[in-house]
Amino acid sequence: MSIKSDRWQNLLSDDSLWKSYNEYVNKWEKSIGSFLQFDADKTKGDSSSDGLLKGMPFGVKDNIAVKGFDMTCGSKILENFNCPYTSTAVQKLQGAGAVVVGKMNMDEFGMGSSTDNSALGETNNPWDKSRVAGGSSGGSAASVAAGQVPFALGSDTGGSVRQPASFCGVYGLKPTYGTVSRYGLTAYASSLETIGICAESTAITRDVFNTMKGIDNMDNTTVDYKPSGKDDTEIIAVLKVGENDLSEDVLNSYRVSQQRLKDLGYKLIEVELPTLKYVVPAYYVIATAEASANLARFNGIRYGLAQKGAETPSDLMQMSRNSGFGDEVKLRILLGTYVLRSGFQDQYYHRAQKIRTAILNDFNRIFEEADALMLPVFPTAAFRHGSSDLTQLQQKAADLYTCSANLAGLPALAVPSTIEKGLPVGVQFTAPAFEEERLFRISEKLEEIFPAQKPEGFSEEWKI
Amino acid sequence: MKYQSFVGLEIHIQLISKTKVFCSCPNHFGDEPNSNVCPVCLGYPGALPSLNEEAVFKALKVCKALDCYINEKVIFDRKNYFYPDMPKNYQITQFESPFGVDGFFNLELDDGSIKKIRIHDVHLEEDAGKMIHDGYQSRLDYNRAGTPLLEIVTEPDLVAGRDAELFVQQFRQMVRYLDVTDGNMEEGSLRCDANTSINLPGKGLGTKTEVKNLNSSRFVNKALTYEIKRHGKVIDKGGEIIQETRLWDEKTSTSKSMRTKEDSHDYRYFPEPDLPPYRVTDVLMKEVEDSMVELPNDRKKRYMDDLKLSFDQAAFITGERKTADWFDSLLSIGSDANQAASWLSGDIQKILNKEDVLLENSPFIPKRIKELFELINDKKISNNIGKEVLQAIFKEDKDPSVIVKDKGLEQVSDSGAVEKIVEEVLAAHPAVVDAVRAGDDKQVGFLMGQLMKATGGKVNPQMAREIIVNKIKLDISGDSQSRDPKIIEKGSEK
Ligand SMILES: [Zn+2]
Repeated sequence: MSIKSDRWQNLLSDDSLWKSYNEYVNKWEKSIGSFLQFDADKTKGDSSSDGLLKGMPFGVKDNIAVKGFDMTCGSKILENFNCPYTSTAVQKLQGAGAVVVGKMNMDEFGMGSSTDNSALGETNNPWDKSRVAGGSSGGSAASVAAGQVPFALGSDTGGSVRQPASFCGVYGLKPTYGTVSRYGLTAYASSLETIGICAESTAITRDVFNTMKGIDNMDNTTVDYKPSGKDDTEIIAVLKVGENDLSEDVLNSYRVSQQRLKDLGYKLIEVELPTLKYVVPAYYVIATAEASANLARFNGIRYGLAQKGAETPSDLMQMSRNSGFGDEVKLRILLGTYVLRSGFQDQYYHRAQKIRTAILNDFNRIFEEADALMLPVFPTAAFRHGSSDLTQLQQKAADLYTCSANLAGLPALAVPSTIEKGLPVGVQFTAPAFEEERLFRISEKLEEIFPAQKPEGFSEEWKI
Repeated sequence: MKYQSFVGLEIHIQLISKTKVFCSCPNHFGDEPNSNVCPVCLGYPGALPSLNEEAVFKALKVCKALDCYINEKVIFDRKNYFYPDMPKNYQITQFESPFGVDGFFNLELDDGSIKKIRIHDVHLEEDAGKMIHDGYQSRLDYNRAGTPLLEIVTEPDLVAGRDAELFVQQFRQMVRYLDVTDGNMEEGSLRCDANTSINLPGKGLGTKTEVKNLNSSRFVNKALTYEIKRHGKVIDKGGEIIQETRLWDEKTSTSKSMRTKEDSHDYRYFPEPDLPPYRVTDVLMKEVEDSMVELPNDRKKRYMDDLKLSFDQAAFITGERKTADWFDSLLSIGSDANQAASWLSGDIQKILNKEDVLLENSPFIPKRIKELFELINDKKISNNIGKEVLQAIFKEDKDPSVIVKDKGLEQVSDSGAVEKIVEEVLAAHPAVVDAVRAGDDKQVGFLMGQLMKATGGKVNPQMAREIIVNKIKLDISGDSQSRDPKIIEKGSEK
């Protein structure tokens, strides 16, 4: 399979096409603000490589390193940080002919589910500007939904690619942990996160994934890619959900998805994940613990915001961190510092690791009977900006369906399903490690009959 | 001594390796500040560590030499604390499952007895950069950041400052033998922190204090001796030792408090998620074992037991591995151990000291020294001429045979030639000849001196003496044919 979207192929080499594309991007930017940096001139014509992705423009979440672009991570502390190197994943895409056109907005350091935690700009959902695009890879998902780019890289620590993909109606892949190099991905929670993909089709998702995967000497956690070879699915396990677990719209969509799979000839079995109720606390313990160390490097000394008026190096560190980090980031650093205190690790960190093993065991049990597991992405469709629909705490609790795959290191794909009251709702599939192709095939079958819907204002020819 | 004292050491060594421990920057000192840096060792966002196998190999060599148990699953941990010279504000180190645990070191005490010092663990970690305070400025150099450090932690099995001093010296010698570090304490490639506590006999460990920044083995001794005495004084007065970290001040020869336990860090260790557990394979361990060398104390023992060298000679030769290797290679081509040892610790070392040159970099290659010994042993040159030849080897960087030939230093051992010279000397000193004939044998020495003076010392002294005596007192020494036939033969061959 290769990419069908010929419309992107000549974009960079055809000046008039490029001009209308630029206008199209700018028009959408006024209403959605998906980019933190869009710098067409710098990269245009930089598609020298001939490859699978030749000429394809793409966006990169602003926590992934691309030399020559800034890398802000949506934070004031890195607002003026010009990145001196390129991540392995982006290098591989560039090697296949794809061209970075910009850096995408995100929740500060990936901490959030709405992109509202970005210190540097607001991103709106292309389907409804009063609503969030999701997060933390909100800019990536929104730009793909609006047709600004065919795909954009995100990062998924607890659902940060799949949830915004679902909110915006695009495909969102979190690969198996260790298959895509994290070299160049600003670390939030190293043991949980991977670089992920938001894309307009399953085919593009597949091509981008296959281009990026592989062992990297710069990332010792990358592993040999060894799928079982069983790419086709017969039995799909479906997570049993209660009436109150999901919003009415999402519950409805979830049922429609099941019916569609039945119609496509899959055998469905209903399953439960007994550990699911523990995953959110476990996820937040591990994520914040790792974050407290990962974010310690931002101290204003070698790069980033250096607060003026400091008299000693330690003053400089404290003042820069105090003014450079947003509240959510500070909260998570404090939480992480708390759970790692000596004498408290058994209660928090070690316990969380046990839950991690337990959820993986849950999944493994299911995969003895089924080829893949279907589960919701998020309990609601895109919510409104601010905390009127969901408080910050409710947003965290809602990570349960997505963060399980991160705890277990498994691949998971969010697939656009239905439109409910004008908002897209996706559904999620997960499979054993390295079985991305299995997920792509399920997604492709659904896509053939129920292709992703487009928001109003979307144009394949970049017509305003 | 009323109290029992306990001393433990934490020794950091900078490992020799081509690159830093988690990136490909050169592990090299003395370069332009901040020239050996990259996104990884500067802690740039998104950069990840990747483990350097050379550092792992050297860590395992030390573990092996200390007879440690090697953990099957080696884990790296993050040690969290903020310091401006630490790029990530955490240090990648090892806490729960380091490379080696439960080893020991056979410490040789001053009386020659051996004390087994238990090793708690051996772990690999990264070094920090350097902060230089310069007037109102603080400047940072990250060339050292991320270079490989190996930390060796002993159990508190040492008793006194002198023990610790010996430990540092012998340990340093060992790691230099292993070629894992240059062990230079002044430059900080071997750093030592020492902890001590005292208690009444039978009461176990007391409250310990730690002294940091000890950059010579002598200071380790002084600081510990001071601390043990200080603890004693405090306890004698009914006071209590506060658990704390202290700094040794060489100027005043005292230690002073740096921080107490209350302000010590909670390092919040947790496993480094960026480095998967490292599995030490049998293949790797085999390679490590194959690379092991005879360690200095074993070598010293062998020299004394098998080669019958004196303690001082053996200690001198085994002091540096390269010296001992040189010595062994001299022996392996057939030289005598005693002759080699006495020349090495005598004249050779004298020249090297004077000229400030290392043996391994000098023109004294074993083959030449062997040749020199042969010239002496075959009586082609005298021992004294041999010393002259040695000087010439150093100055001219030539083989001894060439030097002897060029300078015409070969002994005259041809009996006819010697007789001729003897006759000349005797003729010049008739009064002395008479005295000898009258029984004053001491005067033979005078005649020998004259002979040597006349020939520049080149005459085979033994032969010359015999000829003198025979010529003067034929009636005393009898037939001149009783001379060593070998010498005659050799002389006649010419
Ligand atoms: Zn480096």
